[in-house]
Amino acid sequence: MTTVTDQTTQMRQEIQVSDAAEDHVHETQHPVFEVIDLNVFYGAFLAVKDANLSIRQHEITAFIGPSGCGKTTMLRCFNRMNDFIETARVEGSIKYHGVDLYDPAVNSTEVRRRIGMVFQKPNPFPKSIYDNVAYGPRLSGIKKKGELDEVVERSLKGAALWDEVKDRLKASGLGLSGGQQQRLCIARAIAVDPEVILMDEPCSALDPIATARIEDLMQEIKSKYTIIIVTHNMQQAARVSDRTAFFTTEVNPDSDRRTGRLVEFDRTKKMFSNPNDERTEQYVTGRFG
Amino acid sequence: MDSLRRTYHDELAQAKDELVRLAAVVTESIPRATAVLLDGDLEGADYIIRGDDEIDARALDLEEQCYQILALQAPVASELRQVVALMKMVAEVERSADLLCNICKAARRIYGHELDPKLRGIIARMGEQAQQLYDAAIESFVENDAAKAAAIDDMDSYLDGLQKQFVQAIFESHAGGRIDLQVAVQLAVVARFYERIGDHAVNIGERVRFVVTGWLPEHKGAARFRNRDLTGEIPRIPSASNSESSAGGGGPD
Repeated sequence: MTTVTDQTTQMRQEIQVSDAAEDHVHETQHPVFEVIDLNVFYGAFLAVKDANLSIRQHEITAFIGPSGCGKTTMLRCFNRMNDFIETARVEGSIKYHGVDLYDPAVNSTEVRRRIGMVFQKPNPFPKSIYDNVAYGPRLSGIKKKGELDEVVERSLKGAALWDEVKDRLKASGLGLSGGQQQRLCIARAIAVDPEVILMDEPCSALDPIATARIEDLMQEIKSKYTIIIVTHNMQQAARVSDRTAFFTTEVNPDSDRRTGRLVEFDRTKKMFSNPNDERTEQYVTGRFG
Repeated sequence: MDSLRRTYHDELAQAKDELVRLAAVVTESIPRATAVLLDGDLEGADYIIRGDDEIDARALDLEEQCYQILALQAPVASELRQVVALMKMVAEVERSADLLCNICKAARRIYGHELDPKLRGIIARMGEQAQQLYDAAIESFVENDAAKAAAIDDMDSYLDGLQKQFVQAIFESHAGGRIDLQVAVQLAVVARFYERIGDHAVNIGERVRFVVTGWLPEHKGAARFRNRDLTGEIPRIPSASNSESSAGGGGPD
């Protein structure tokens, strides 16, 4: 006769086995990014310390944490956006399909073509809707109108914007609503056929309906792209992501500035139902001790 | 510990306190109901039966409060587990109070009938054991003690054993002509009520383990169903998603 304790142990093992099986599937796949012992500096200031994580293909990974915890800094490392900040420096490595992103031989423009970015505030170019989306493809050498038309239509459809703008492609991108502008930026990002889309608080300037549309869109496009999103909205992380990384700030012994640390990285359902680390539990429940 | 959401965390604490208070009322009423039964105390029976309306009302309020917390505060992690567990536990407590009323109603029906010392002895022990189970369940909840909660199931086996002994003693007493059939039936039902109160305490203990550890103890019926599913004994009802952590069945164990 089995006791309840035996049965619960067995159930727990079953859950672990099914989780492990899911992990195994992913581990047999090559991770898109592998972050190894990453330190990011701005001058002498250590902004992110000792981060290690893997980003899996066709998953949405969310970065959450309080202000100054290094989540945006970390996101910007994935397509070398920090190169534009003179004092920024990276130690450790970020492997993209096994290739060190910060190897001097790597072409940073090519990195940004494959790894697109959508920013907090929608930032369409002061051009027409069509030209906004066609901008990247033109730069990469597509000249024929037919081909461009096709890319623009496909990208706008991919960003769930086509039906709303197909009759006014020549109108300015700046004339769209905030939510539409953000979807235009997503269309612009996917027009160059990237593999990864980085999103830095993409909904923080949008109303709930526009936010819901972007979140829905993320679910639709994740079968084609790998998405990493930084968000201050924990419920958004819980709603949209497959995995969540929680960052926090630690007092830096050398200065009064705080250094960002990755605390826990796990399946989102685990992070929001039963996290391993006490600090994650305190952050997601709004308790600090 | 500092809280960034003080009002909400106060609400959570209040909900937990209210569950503990309701469970304490039930725990205290168990020896009272036993005394009602053994002493034929009709006034005491009335007191417990009337008191049940208040338990029902407070249980409903607590459920409503949990529902509001879910709707307005979107709890997560251990707090989500606590609210979900509270909603289940309040039903266990409310049902236990109903069972105590049933014991009192049975006491009215057998009023005036003499019981064997053996029967009286087992009734007293069933009452004590049910109270201990409830005490342990609620203590484990107050202290967030999963180990204590896990021990409740073993304590319940003793109560189940007492119930079987009691039924045997009823047969003997009836066969010896010391109690008539009507009383025998009432007593058998009373034994079942105590046994059910013990089961409710076990369920509360299981919810405590869920709150503390984050996994649901497997109910016996659910475990049997899973085994049957593995052996292909019965066809599985198709479901939209195969949930890993089913809430478990409320069927008879």
